[in-house]
Amino acid sequence: MPERHIEFGKFGARGVRGHEAVARQLDALAGFVTTPVTARRGLVARLHYLTRTPHARRAAREAGLTVTDRTLRAWLEGTRSPSRRNLERIETAYRTVRRHNVARYLLARLNREGRGTRVEFHPVNQSQVDRPHQRVVEYRTLNVRRWDGIVEAWAADDQDALDEAWVTHAVVDLGSQWGQYEYVTNIGFAA
Amino acid sequence: MTGFEAIDALLAAAKEEVPLPSVEERRALREQLNLSRAQVAQVLGVSPSTVGGWESGRDPGGEVREKYAYFLEGARTKLAERAGEPVEAVTDATPDGAVEEGADVSAADSGAEDVESLPAPRPCVLCGGPARHQVAGFPQHLDPTDCGTAPAARPSHAAEPRQAAADPAAPGHPAGGAAVPEPPVARGVAPGQPGKPAAQTEETRRPTRGDRPRRLAQQVPVRPVGRRVQTAVSGSPDLIGQAVAAALARHDGDVDAATAALVKRAIPDAMALLDETRKGGRYDIVAHPWIPDVLRKQSARGADQIWEARPKWFRAHLPPGVHEVTALDINGAYLSALKTHLPIGRLEHSTGFGHDRRRAGVHLITPPVWEHEDVLPNPIGNRDEPGPLWVTEPTLRLLLRLSGPTYGLCDPPEIHESFTSGATEGLLEKFRVALKDARDGAIAAGDEVTLEYVKAMYSKFVSTMGESNYNRELYRPDWMHLIRSQAFANLWMKAYKAHAEGLTVVRAMGTDELHVSGDWRTVFPEGRGVSEVKVKDVYTVGSGAESDGP
Repeated sequence: MPERHIEFGKFGARGVRGHEAVARQLDALAGFVTTPVTARRGLVARLHYLTRTPHARRAAREAGLTVTDRTLRAWLEGTRSPSRRNLERIETAYRTVRRHNVARYLLARLNREGRGTRVEFHPVNQSQVDRPHQRVVEYRTLNVRRWDGIVEAWAADDQDALDEAWVTHAVVDLGSQWGQYEYVTNIGFAA
Repeated sequence: MTGFEAIDALLAAAKEEVPLPSVEERRALREQLNLSRAQVAQVLGVSPSTVGGWESGRDPGGEVREKYAYFLEGARTKLAERAGEPVEAVTDATPDGAVEEGADVSAADSGAEDVESLPAPRPCVLCGGPARHQVAGFPQHLDPTDCGTAPAARPSHAAEPRQAAADPAAPGHPAGGAAVPEPPVARGVAPGQPGKPAAQTEETRRPTRGDRPRRLAQQVPVRPVGRRVQTAVSGSPDLIGQAVAAALARHDGDVDAATAALVKRAIPDAMALLDETRKGGRYDIVAHPWIPDVLRKQSARGADQIWEARPKWFRAHLPPGVHEVTALDINGAYLSALKTHLPIGRLEHSTGFGHDRRRAGVHLITPPVWEHEDVLPNPIGNRDEPGPLWVTEPTLRLLLRLSGPTYGLCDPPEIHESFTSGATEGLLEKFRVALKDARDGAIAAGDEVTLEYVKAMYSKFVSTMGESNYNRELYRPDWMHLIRSQAFANLWMKAYKAHAEGLTVVRAMGTDELHVSGDWRTVFPEGRGVSEVKVKDVYTVGSGAESDGP
């Protein structure tokens, strides 16, 4: 069994990379504004979040929202509306800043002063795989104690680093069969 | 010539080997005296492993064999004496029946240096009764059968001088080691033959009655686990009782404060209790499975698409006359509903009409037409919207049951698609029983703190096991819906039972409220247990003139 898949899904298995499922769950725990940025309500909510304090403005600027204060004020007042490219920038900046702000608290909750968090690994969906190619892959659980690298990579939105951190800090602890959990249907944990 | 003398000496020295008890008994004797192999080995002058060998099949020989036989015999006598059994075997075995206690005092005295007869009886150090001998200055009975004390209660230090005194009583016998835990009963043996009680009679006496209570006390309780047997632990810790006691202690017995504190921590405590009750369970609790969209909330405050079939029904037309209606409250409805078929793992999608009894989940069905609305509530609740709807397993099972030949109340529902997983009814069973036992105990003892705590535990456990932020350890909205639906189905079955027994069901609403008129006490037992009902209210409705029949 290779530890990393070379050609996942060749025989019809379905799943997502483990670190993607982790990022999805962390996003769900972080709790972004759910209204899309294209709606006026969602746009204003994001802009308020990014302009509430000077520190927030600075963070937004670092996250790529390099527009003048005058433009921001106009967007908030509704006299002008951002272009589509600027909407994307607002969305990216909002998610980056929000992740960065939340990461500290999320990390504390996940590490739980060293006690860690129980993580469930739901195996890949093999319902579309031919019977001879199906393999027994069990549902597994694991207590992950050190989330620092994982949360840091997630906050930086660095997919490669998140993959690396996820595999080295969590998945390998499943034992020699960890390659079976490189792709999963779901990674379940709570914070 | 000397050669012949040597042969004679040799022949004289050659004796019959002392018989030893069986291998198992050797070990049992030593262990029942709480002696280690090393202790025994030290006094016998051998290594502990040699003693181990003797206890597992090998036999000692020569001088050490006699020592070992002496030890075993002494151990056996001591144990028999401990168990309060008079040891006839030893005195019987005494050659030519030499010493009868008190018959010949001087003979008993002759062999032992420290044993003296007393001119006047003095209180025995062991039993307090009058004794006519003293050993090393301690007045005592020489024969334990005379000693009135329970031998087990005898202080051990009192026995020590006797033991020390016993050794000179065996001149020339190998068992002269001071540390041999020699039985005091050896004192009763004739001084000429100490420590050589005829072991041949012992074989018949082996299963002494005195051994039995000790064996019972040493028995290990076991229970079957899988294909093996494990040592049974004395039940899981009483988490509920401990929590209540701790809270009361922390609040100095202030019942209100303790109750408030306990209710506040009911959710994490329920999760801890769940973990505790799942120990050794066959299935893991899957707390964060993938959830199909029908079970996801549409918005933060919105609901998902599952219809829980909550009853909200009243009988539109009552028969003429005045009716005394009793509002009954079903005790612990959600607690009882924890026993339901719960999907274990991830819900998997399927389409088609078949219903697999070994699976549970949510189903998209077209409900059958309900023609008994005038007397009985619709088992799917009062649904305004026509068309197919997502119902849960208990509702579906109720509909299938009612459509069966036993009831024949409606047509079978039409199943379009399902999200199901392999199910078991036992998943929360131990959890439920633990809570129910605590509840019953609290009711019997009038313990309102525990009662409130248990109530908060199960009700909050059910209401937060979905996507609630108050309990993030368990994300099972499917279970939440199933348990609630089970409570509603249970209520429906109670309404049906009342109807079938001839009562008039007036109203069925919420989780646990049933209004009936008629002699309901013959149908439902009244009380506070989970199988009993409680009277909430009694009121009168209708009059002969006003109400018109259906």
